[in-house]
Amino acid sequence: MGIRFNEVSYGYSSFAQGLYTAIKDINLEITEKNEFIALVGHTGSGKSTLAKHMNALIFPTSGTLEIFGHTITNKRNKKIKYNDIRKKVGLVFQFPEYQLFEETVEKDIMFGPMNFKITKEEAKKLAKQSLNLVGLDDSYLSRNPYNLSGGEKKRVSIAGILAMDPDILVLDEPTSGLDPAGKRILMDLFKNINETTGKTIVIITHDMDLVYQYFNRVLVMNDGHLVFDGKTEVLFQKEDLTDYHLDYPNTIKVLKYLNQELNLNMNVFQKTNAEALAEIKRAVRL
Amino acid sequence: MSYIEIKNLTFSYNEKTNVLEDVNLEINKGEWIAVLGHNGSGKSTLAKTLVGLLEPQKGEISIDGLVMNDEFAYEIRKKIGIVFQNPDNQFVGVTVRDDIAFGMENLCVPREEMLEKISFYAEKVNMLNFLDSEPANLSGGQKQRVAIAGILAMQSDIIIFDEATSMLDPFSREELIKYIKTLHQDGLTIIMITHDINEALLADRILVMNKGKVYAFEDTEEIMKKKSIFTDSHLELPVSLDLANALTDNQEYKEIREKLWEYALMK
Repeated sequence: MGIRFNEVSYGYSSFAQGLYTAIKDINLEITEKNEFIALVGHTGSGKSTLAKHMNALIFPTSGTLEIFGHTITNKRNKKIKYNDIRKKVGLVFQFPEYQLFEETVEKDIMFGPMNFKITKEEAKKLAKQSLNLVGLDDSYLSRNPYNLSGGEKKRVSIAGILAMDPDILVLDEPTSGLDPAGKRILMDLFKNINETTGKTIVIITHDMDLVYQYFNRVLVMNDGHLVFDGKTEVLFQKEDLTDYHLDYPNTIKVLKYLNQELNLNMNVFQKTNAEALAEIKRAVRL
Repeated sequence: MSYIEIKNLTFSYNEKTNVLEDVNLEINKGEWIAVLGHNGSGKSTLAKTLVGLLEPQKGEISIDGLVMNDEFAYEIRKKIGIVFQNPDNQFVGVTVRDDIAFGMENLCVPREEMLEKISFYAEKVNMLNFLDSEPANLSGGQKQRVAIAGILAMQSDIIIFDEATSMLDPFSREELIKYIKTLHQDGLTIIMITHDINEALLADRILVMNKGKVYAFEDTEEIMKKKSIFTDSHLELPVSLDLANALTDNQEYKEIREKLWEYALMK
């Protein structure tokens, strides 16, 4: 179960570029429980297109896509209830705060679940639960979403997706535009949701420090191809990431510089500043 | 007298809380200033008051000796341009050419001169081959560069970047930074609002905003030695300097600390 891509390609024709293939021959499996996956790649690499397939928001041009037992091809199948898929896999777009539209936070969060035939009372209960899950208290329920800060808006919009109780949550750059503290709070929150509920979470990001510190599995898209699917440690141990248009996390870059300049032999693969510090101290004592 | 002077500036959206409170700043011509601060610290509001998009309740802004008021606001706006975070929020033209022309049209620049300037500044930001492109076919970084060309074409000499790199991927970001460096070398005054501490290190001086107030405004190298300014303001030091500060003054770490500083201040 979960999501499986079989030789999936997606192309579209545009005025300027003619026929353009956004993703090519993707084979990928995401299980429905306990995964915490980073999806990275340069702008235009196909990350967002890949993500949009994950809840059948768009259909493959060729290949097949299996989402929780439903087989998606390039044709709309009347037997498939796409609504069921959307309930299983929640997709949070980049800048979800632009999608807030109701007059109170509570109504906004209730909007999603109400589409899935539940009572108003149940939806209210879900709204409250998911608001608390994103770290906001009940006092926010009656507030106007437009008067919240950027970080708060992001959380409310994520709560809106959580309220639909999806098994898999896919988020497109949820931390962009947040200050460092805000980023960490949000990442800790996702990790916590992942660990306490077992929901699989896929996060698109450009921040290699976050990738290194938070994720076990990373997917790298490059020019429409899935060029890496594996452990984060393995990715950053590669000699050169320029082919992937990726950068290294800051701890690795700094330690590599010290090794090179001072002829040291430190193990540069340290995820946190504290670990890097311990490694420096160890190297100096030798 | 400094090129940009801000005196006792106070701004609020409602009567309850001040987003900016008694801000006093002096910025010299040709300086590169980085503005750091947590979400909601007043950074963007400061930028909007500087370009005259918001009117402060109290205080005064003057640029190049002109006080921001009804009489001079128009003059001042010509001197100062702003590049926003989301490239899509500021692209007003149908094509790159139209977009660069937009500001000049408002200034009633003659057609011949305008065409010349469009080519000149499009080339400067390496977008000459894209003059007929529509925004939908441009990357975020390209759109940001078009915005810069539009500002330069108006002969502005102050540019505010309001988290202009935060939506870009690392490579487009690096490219944009490269252009900002050239603008700085050309003598423009740069005010860069950012959450990226590594970007801020490129500036001559760093302004730290905290809850609407100026918390610190010092030379980049000096401010980086004061960890408490960053922790107090919910900011993080760059990895290299966090490590340098954590390695005590012990002689055996001296060399490493020097190298970490060298790494941080590489421009």
